[in-house]
This record gives sequence, C-alpha cells and structure tokens, in this order.
Amino acid sequence: MNVDHPSMNQIEIEHLNKNYGSLQVLHDISLDIPIGAFVALVGPSGCGKSTLLRTIAGLETITSGTIKVAGEVVNDKAPRERDLAMVFQSYALYPHMTVEQNMSYSLRLRRRPKAEIDQRVGEAAKILGLEKLLKRRPKQLSGGQRQRVAMGRAIVRNPKVFLFDEPLSNLDAALRVQMRSEIRKLHKNLGATSVYVTHDQIEAMTMADLIVVLHDGRIEQIGKPLDLYRRPANRFVAGFIGSPAMNFVPAEITADGRAIALGAGALLKIPRAQEPGRKVLAGLRPEHLRLDGSGERLAATVDIVEGTGSMTFIEAKVGSELVNIAYAGTYETEAGAPLTLGIASEDIYLFDPETGRAL
Amino acid sequence: MLQSGFAKYLRDGKGFEGTLIVAAVLYLLVFAAFPLIYTVVMSFQEVDMFTLGTLVRPFAGLQNYTDLFHRPEFAPIVWNTVIFVTLSIAFQLTIGFALALFFLQDFPGSTYVRGLFLAGWILPALVVGAVWRWIFAGDFGVLNYALQSLGLIDGQIYWLSDPAYALYSVIIANIWLGIPFNMILLSVGLAGIPGDVYEAAEMDGANVFQRFLTITLPMMGPTLGAVIALGVIFTLQQFDLVAALTQGGPANASNVAQYWSWQMSFQTYEISGGATVATMMIALVIVVAVIYVRSVQREQSF
Repeated sequence: MNVDHPSMNQIEIEHLNKNYGSLQVLHDISLDIPIGAFVALVGPSGCGKSTLLRTIAGLETITSGTIKVAGEVVNDKAPRERDLAMVFQSYALYPHMTVEQNMSYSLRLRRRPKAEIDQRVGEAAKILGLEKLLKRRPKQLSGGQRQRVAMGRAIVRNPKVFLFDEPLSNLDAALRVQMRSEIRKLHKNLGATSVYVTHDQIEAMTMADLIVVLHDGRIEQIGKPLDLYRRPANRFVAGFIGSPAMNFVPAEITADGRAIALGAGALLKIPRAQEPGRKVLAGLRPEHLRLDGSGERLAATVDIVEGTGSMTFIEAKVGSELVNIAYAGTYETEAGAPLTLGIASEDIYLFDPETGRAL
Repeated sequence: MLQSGFAKYLRDGKGFEGTLIVAAVLYLLVFAAFPLIYTVVMSFQEVDMFTLGTLVRPFAGLQNYTDLFHRPEFAPIVWNTVIFVTLSIAFQLTIGFALALFFLQDFPGSTYVRGLFLAGWILPALVVGAVWRWIFAGDFGVLNYALQSLGLIDGQIYWLSDPAYALYSVIIANIWLGIPFNMILLSVGLAGIPGDVYEAAEMDGANVFQRFLTITLPMMGPTLGAVIALGVIFTLQQFDLVAALTQGGPANASNVAQYWSWQMSFQTYEISGGATVATMMIALVIVVAVIYVRSVQREQSF
C-alpha cells in the first residue's frame, strides 16, 4: 500500500469531459481506481474507452475535469512526466531497434547504469520468455512475440500503472486465451495497478477485478465482474455482459403486480412486486432458460438448432419473439418442434422499456 | 475479327506481355544503352570532325584521359563540381527536412502552403535561371537592393560576373530549385513513421529532441540515403541553370563537369574530351546509384 498518500486510489478521475470540437466523446466521467487493482474499461467500439485511457496516459488533452495519479493532479503533465507505461494495440515497437533495445529504451533515456539496464531487461525477458529473441528486430517476430516485447517494454520501467489498449486484439483466438491468463498472472506477480481497455466482455470478465462499462462516452456501470452479470444496472449492461447476449422480451406486469404476462400468453412469477399494468422488458439469459420446463414455464417453437457437442444453442420463437437458449450438453431437436421452457423466478430481469433502467 | 496467328498470339496473355517487354527493351537499347555505350567508346577513340560519321575510329587508349588530366582547367572544374554538389545537397537536404517537419505539424492550411512550395519544382530550370538572373543582376537586381536596404553591403555585388561569387550564385539558385523535391520525398518518409511509435516513445519518457534523435532520424536513415543519392545524381545533371545563369563563366569560375562536357562536345568540338568527362561522370553516378538501390532496399526492411 502507498503510505505517502492517504488515498487508497492510484488514479482518480473527477467529472472528466472531452470534446473534439463540438462533438463530446466523454461525458462527466468519474472513476476511482484502487492501488493494485486490475480495471477493465469495456464497451462497444466508439464508446470512448480508448479515449479515456489515452487521457489518463496524457496522449489526449481533456476539456474539463481532473485526473489524479497517486494523489497528484496530472492534467497539465506530459505523458513522460506521469510515470505510466502503455501497451498499444499495434504494439508500437521501435522497428529500427532490437528487442533488447526496445525494452531498454526508457532506461537508456533516463541514463541508468548499463549493469542495471542489463539486469532489468534480463529479468523482464525471463518473465516473458524472450531471452532467445533479444537480438532480433520486431519484423523477425511473430504477433505473439511482438506482444510480449510490448509488455516487456512496460515491465522494465516498473511504473506506477500499466495501461493496456486492446493488447490482444491482433492475436489469433488460441493465443489470445493464453496471453489473457499470462497477463493476469503477471499482474498478480507485479502487483501494479492496471487499466485494460477491451471491447471483448469475456476478456473483461475473466481478467478484471473491476469492470467499467462505457457506452456513448458515459459510464453505464462500475462493478465486479459477477456483480455486473448478476445485477446489471440497465438494459445496456445486461445485454453487453454475458455471452450469448441476454434475450429481451416485451411484457406487462399483471394486475396483482407479482408476475409478468408475455405476449405469447405465458405468465411468469417475478422476484419482486412491481407496479400493476406497467409495460416492461423482460430479460432472460440464454443459459438460464431450461429445456426441462422447470420453474416458470413458457411455450416455444424451435427455429434453429446449432450443436457444438458440449453446448447446444437453440433459437426458438416465444409468440412472435425470438429467444436464444444455451444448453450445456447435447440436445437433439429440429426446427418446428415444440418446447416447454422453464426459468427460475429470480433469474428474470425487468427493465423500463423507455429508460432501460433495471426495475 | 482476330483470326491470324499473330493476332491470336497477341490476344492471349503471353503474347501481349511479350510485346510490351520487347517494346520497352527496344526503347531502352536505342535511346539509353546505345548513347551511353557510344559515349564510353568515344572516350577511348580519336574523334574529330572528319570521323564523326563513322563508328570505327582509331583507338586512343587512355590518351584522352591523360590529356584531360593535364588541362589547366581540369582541377578547378572538378573542385567546382565538388563544391556545387556538396553545398547544393547539404542545404537542399537540411532546408527540405526542416520544411517537411514543419508541414508535418497539423496547422490550418498546411497542405495548401506545402502545395505552393511545389510550384518552384515544376518550373523548368531555364525559367528558374532567367528569374534568378534578374534577382542576381548587379545594377538593378533585387538581391543587391535588399542587401543594401538592410545595410549589409555598401556597393554592388556582381553576382554572376564576379569570379568570387559566380559559382555560389548558381548554387543558391540550385538550392532553391531542389528544396521542394527534397521536402516532398522527406515528407513521404516522415509520414511513413507510425504515430503510435512516437506515442510509445513519449510514454517511455522521450522529449521532443530525444524523439527526433532516437526515432525520427534512425527511421529516416534509408529515406535520407535515397534522397542524398538522388540529389547527387540530379545535381550532377544540373545543366540548364548553369547555361541560363553564367555559362560556366567568368573564366570557368562557375564551370562544373556536366557543363564542361557539353562545352567540349558541342561548342569547341573536342568530342573525345567531352565523352571522357561524361564517362567519368557515368562511373560516379553508377556508384551513387548502387548506394541508392541499397538504401531503398533497407527502407523496405523495416
């Protein structure tokens, strides 16, 4: 823990706004990032997550608000004065330098003694398995190796904070899964605060201690991965977190306020009483819909079946609405077959159709 | 209808490609290779007005070369050429590089102003020479007027007829003419350096000078090599400006090898002498061209 600063936060962002001319891309962002936390900024492309990261880095100016690093306002500080290391999506390796020179660049700029440079580069290379590649140029490396060099360049500096800008998006799927756990392990070992930008909610869910969901330049929700999954604050978060995505079906609260009526004539009991007669959106996660009809029941007709062996994905019609069902295991059925779906009452989410807020 | 054998051969891919290649090779042989080899051959022959019409002439060995080396004007002209090339390139390159960096900054109208700089480049060198003749004119030239108004000189400088100034006047005009070319090629090179590499360097702690020295310069190395090589080649070709400004005068004070070669060949009809100078320049240009090709290959290696 940092004893110099009474606050436990490595980064504090207060009421940050960012405009490009008349276009506002970040709206009143306030966010505290605790020391040592692994925080994921997640959202669809164009949501402002990379811009937010770049304002923390100092590569983008901000229009209003404050950014503090270790308790100190850094609004007017150049990136090099903020002591943050960044791993770029494109890796941004120095093409004219060897791996070793890439990793030692920041230390050479600071005129550290040669012995210290060699030792720190050696350590980072060992952690990342780059020892045999130190004399190579970036061009002679594979995508995964370049990614490691980009991480090595950050590790060598031993910075206050690591900033990751979609570092895995240029890797193939298998490598991405591998690097995901390596970055996680690295964070555990080094303990440095990390801010990780990704558009991939699975990456965010599996890696982060804390997830910040961004949409159209606004923070939709901040929370631990499972909290976001279990208690989404609004329809956007509910639809974004979880894969396959949550189904949304228009429904109406019954006269007693204790159930919803779906268009197809099904009545489902809901966990908490709501205002009778109110129109709502019912959120049903594909993995919560059971094929054995246990719990709250609704009738459906199979439309498309996709079996992968371990999972079966069924697209079915409930009245006129399409819903996706994710079934763990093999389930043999065919288009047109009738289904009786079931769902536990506490797995039914309700949202205001106008505002999208969770009810 | 294309029915005949050749037309059919032309119409299918191979024949068409073949025809294009043959046409290009023929053109190169007739208009590039033959004059070049002919010039080299003439530098080893006795050529006079009576043998102009034939290819077979008495072999002179290295006599033309030794004759040339013993001419009193040989050393001054070679030295002039060295100064001409070195100063032209040094200033074209530094000013062009500075302008390229300047226009890389994103300010309103930067692309238009950069476009204006190109205007100088598309002017024929003879026209540029005529304009600079006026600027350099001793009695009513604008350069003397400006320098006098600023109090930098008292009397007139006869830029083009004073042996102390003539060569440098040609060099100044040539620098002006070459800056846009350097600027554009270097701009392209600069644009090829990805922005995130600079951002990474900024995050790593490099200030603007360190970024220039450790990122821009090394990454521009191959481009700079190519631009310098092309600059040497173009400067050695720069004939028009000399013709328009000083004709190598006064008393060879501003004469350079390429102009001297032309003078001997087409003014005094010492054709083997002109060919000998040209041959030596060909050898030099080939060396430079090899450097250029290597540079371009290195450029692609990043």
